[in-house]
Amino acid sequence: MTRRISKYKRFMMMNPIVQFFKFIFLSLKVLVIVAGGHGGTRKA
Amino acid sequence: MSKIVVLGAGIAGHVAASHLRRKLAKEHEVVVVSPNSNYQWIPSNIWVGIGRMKPRDLIFPLAPLYAKKHIGYKQAKAIGFYPEGDNDEQKPYVLAEYVAGDEKGKQEKVTYDYLINATGPKLNFEGTEGLSPGKNKAHSVCTYTHAQEAWIALEDIIKQMKQGKKVKILIGTGHAKATCQGAAFEYILNVEQELRRHKVRDMAEITWISNEYQLGDFGMDGMLLSYGSNILKSSEMVEMIFEDRGIHWILGAGVNKVEDGVVHYETLDGEYKQKSYDFAMLIPSFSGHGFKAYDKNGGDITNKLFKGFMIVDADYTPKPYEEWTVQDWPETYQNPSYANIFAPGIAFAPPHGISKPRKSKNGTDITPAPPRTGMPSGITAKLVADNIIEMIKNPNHELHHKGSMGNMGAACIASAGFGMTKGSGISITTYPIVPDFKKYPDTHGRKLGKTFGSIGLAGHWLKLALHYAFIYKAKMKPFWWLIPE
Ligand SMILES: Cc1cc2nc3c(=O)[nH]c(=O)nc-3n(C[C@H](O)[C@H](O)[C@H](O)COP(=O)(O)OP(=O)(O)OC[C@H]3O[C@@H](n4cnc5c(N)ncnc54)[C@H](O)[C@@H]3O)c2cc1C
Repeated sequence: MTRRISKYKRFMMMNPIVQFFKFIFLSLKVLVIVAGGHGGTRKA
Repeated sequence: MSKIVVLGAGIAGHVAASHLRRKLAKEHEVVVVSPNSNYQWIPSNIWVGIGRMKPRDLIFPLAPLYAKKHIGYKQAKAIGFYPEGDNDEQKPYVLAEYVAGDEKGKQEKVTYDYLINATGPKLNFEGTEGLSPGKNKAHSVCTYTHAQEAWIALEDIIKQMKQGKKVKILIGTGHAKATCQGAAFEYILNVEQELRRHKVRDMAEITWISNEYQLGDFGMDGMLLSYGSNILKSSEMVEMIFEDRGIHWILGAGVNKVEDGVVHYETLDGEYKQKSYDFAMLIPSFSGHGFKAYDKNGGDITNKLFKGFMIVDADYTPKPYEEWTVQDWPETYQNPSYANIFAPGIAFAPPHGISKPRKSKNGTDITPAPPRTGMPSGITAKLVADNIIEMIKNPNHELHHKGSMGNMGAACIASAGFGMTKGSGISITTYPIVPDFKKYPDTHGRKLGKTFGSIGLAGHWLKLALHYAFIYKAKMKPFWWLIPE
């Protein structure tokens, strides 16, 4: 094992309070991708 | 009155059937033909494979739901396509064979006005000598029964480790042209975390084996991601995770044979190698189901409908990687020969790969096939349903609903470990799924910002939230349609 994620980063990744806000952010981000819609590519 | 027949009750088939039923008046008939009596939320199979969920947590029986919602259901499998009918039957039909109950083995001509082929992939274990779920210590998590068997074997290995045995675990792709690397990626991280939870991590050597040229290719040619304030390649992100978790990797490996505890593979350098293991989970290649199609007089027209998977409005002209464009990818999933047949989800034949094709020095193709994940499967199924609804209202209608994978985003939340406080997930979104090198020439064909990665506990919560949300939606509970695909 080679430590590639610093202790601070790991703390941030696993801290439930920080991650609660991240959860909200991620949910919105995913919604934006979905709401961004889809379409064809052949007619501009 | 129109009759719409949906083949398959996976993500694509079920989404199509449920939207059709909700939006069409009762005079129109919606019939699902599928051999599996249960709906399964496949993404959560990963957690069955580590013993943290039971199959019952991700399945439910289809028959009662369909009866309640006025969707016809035949527990049968399609075995032949007759898009012009035959000498006795004027209407187009699918020949289906019942697989359960009193009618088991009975064949029926299921006629239709519109047909949605959402039969997904055939799990082509036969494509790799010796690869079969539960045989030769190699397992699968592609279905809930496979995943359950994988967990029984893994649990046994964990017991052996607790008694002091050192073991080798191998997880990845079981064929030179396999796809679905994402599922194997989730599984390897979940297994690694479970071994830590059981305090036996130091007893296991864990290795990733894959047909990818680089880590993080995922059959999508890799990605350039926004990661916090940095821009990272997906290969760098996965390398960081694997090194951090002490996972070794073998890349460019075309697995061609599995023996008891030994996998044989060819490398891109043309070498033939072996790797031993005590427990393996290898994703098989996916293929079409080998369906045959016939015209009115019984003539074979399979090549009008199938090219392995079903032919749709893609550009199948063979061309080199450098000339691939997003315009090659289908927009409506309509068969060009029969306008009333559609194939959303995994059932359609892709025009070509997404990852750069590579051959070994011996000429063997070792390249991931293009993935079609849950989100595009649901989106394409819904747009097919919407187009059919418009066609019913106006048969000469141009198809308005379009969704090319070259103009569609996807969110992939990869579980990296289970647990409300100790879990982790790698959230990746990409836009578009198929890179558009003309639109986004400097960012490997994708839009940065909409293509981003994030690692942490929130990813696990999100994956778990999606599990409950999508099962709620699949059960067609109140306001289910508000949950997007
Ligand atoms: C282990 C695993 C984990 C995954 N995790 C994720 C994830 O986290 N996120 C994500 O987005 N995607 C994930 N995927 C991919 C996702 O599951 C697929 O994209 C999706 O299931 C494809 O939907 P589909 O309806 O096209 O095919 P399927 O879900 O395979 O459904 C096919 C249906 O057709 C039926 N069928 C088969 N043969 C016949 C026949 N002859 N006649 C009639 N019906 C037939 C089958 O019984 C089934 O009901 C994962 C896949 C696997 C294997």
